[in-house]
Amino acid sequence: MARDRNADIDYVARVRRILIAVLVVALAGIFLVWRIDSPRVERLRAALIDRVVPSFDWALVPVTKVAGMIEGFQSYARIYEQNQELRRELQTMKAWKEAAVQLEQQNAKLLAQNKVRLDPKLTSVSGVVLADSGSPFRQSVLLNVGSRDGVMDGWATTDGLGLVGRIAGVGKTTSRVLLLTDASSRVPVTIQPSGQKALLVGDNTPAPPIDFIDAPEQVRPGDRVVSAGDGGVFPAGILVGQVALGADRRLRVRLAADYERLDFLRVLRSQPAERINDTGALIAPIVPPAVMLPPPEPAGTDDLAEGADG
Amino acid sequence: MVDPVTTRRWLYRGLFLVLATLFLFGRLLPLSTLPSAWPAPDFLLCLAFAWVLRRPDFLPVVVIATVFLIEDMLLVRPPGLWTLIVLFATEFLRDRANLTRDLPFFVEWAMVAAVMLVMLLANRLVLAIFMVPQSGFGLTLMQFVASVAAYPIVVLVSNRVLGVRWVAPGEVEALEHRL
Repeated sequence: MARDRNADIDYVARVRRILIAVLVVALAGIFLVWRIDSPRVERLRAALIDRVVPSFDWALVPVTKVAGMIEGFQSYARIYEQNQELRRELQTMKAWKEAAVQLEQQNAKLLAQNKVRLDPKLTSVSGVVLADSGSPFRQSVLLNVGSRDGVMDGWATTDGLGLVGRIAGVGKTTSRVLLLTDASSRVPVTIQPSGQKALLVGDNTPAPPIDFIDAPEQVRPGDRVVSAGDGGVFPAGILVGQVALGADRRLRVRLAADYERLDFLRVLRSQPAERINDTGALIAPIVPPAVMLPPPEPAGTDDLAEGADG
Repeated sequence: MVDPVTTRRWLYRGLFLVLATLFLFGRLLPLSTLPSAWPAPDFLLCLAFAWVLRRPDFLPVVVIATVFLIEDMLLVRPPGLWTLIVLFATEFLRDRANLTRDLPFFVEWAMVAAVMLVMLLANRLVLAIFMVPQSGFGLTLMQFVASVAAYPIVVLVSNRVLGVRWVAPGEVEALEHRL
């Protein structure tokens, strides 16, 4: 009996060892395949997330909303100060509105004079944020629009006011937005009014630093930062934020988009910029295209066919 | 005839899967999309360690591999690597489950912390060898500290609330013999 039992345990232990070896080889294999053929595995990952996360949708959205409501409730405590603040802001806004109306009229006039045609291709798809990356080292969110809605990799995403990030990974019904704060995010920007070109480099902090500025002395805190069309990554001129001087004396960007609460995001459909690949062709007189006349009779076609045979 | 020991075992395996889903769900909630200054501890890892040291039979290798591989895929980590490291770590602790039973909790805590640190370094080393871009070392270290700090809490909760405790030697066999 005892010997039987020992043999049993021995057998179980042996099977277990084989199982662990198989698992180790499989996992190492997955990692190696991912390293060698990253796009394929990432597509698999996108498909998996596409399956799993929307099935949590019924729970994700209410829980997020309840958390938002609790936060909103807490802010009732400061309702009097907020009211005063809003009144003051409203006064300022009225002045701005007047200015804006005047500017709009002026702009309309100037556009009419210039016969400017705004790009009609710049349309957008809006989506709801389903989930975030779930890891403190990655800054991305998952939207509920995907390849089904025509979303493509690399498109810019805004929250209506400022740039939020770009699409990185598209599933059938979901897509991942890589936020500007992610450590692997690099976005070409223009700093106005000096017109300097620079790169916005995400580093896992709420205010990403600006890198590769030509003349930093021309940039001052408070300058507007907009996206640049360089490299064909983004459409130019989308608001990104304002320059601010960080605690570490680096120039950083205070983002215009409200990163505290990303609810609805707008994905801008951008068409790839047309490229000129070939050199100029010969300019020759236009030859009218040869027109094939239909044969008058079936007999004629027979003749022709015979002629071709002969 | 269903053996109560087996039923209990499967119940706890199911409970682990439910808890893993809840943790993952909580992490995926888009509550704050701002980068956090202080990363949250890795509760799932703490739970797996606490259980594997107390009741290794509740967490078979396949369950651990499945849960962590799914976590790898959903949290956009290099797939397979972290699972592999967790697998080695839990096997290491599983072999020492009988040793730590008689030692004070402080020793167990120190051992878990050491294992976590080795896991972190191994992960970074492999990623560096394969030239995969990584996040800052400071942030990873802060998460390690947070996880180590969270371990006693996880142990306490799983002890008192979930009832995952040491079994006296021979208890399981005694139960099996009686039935």
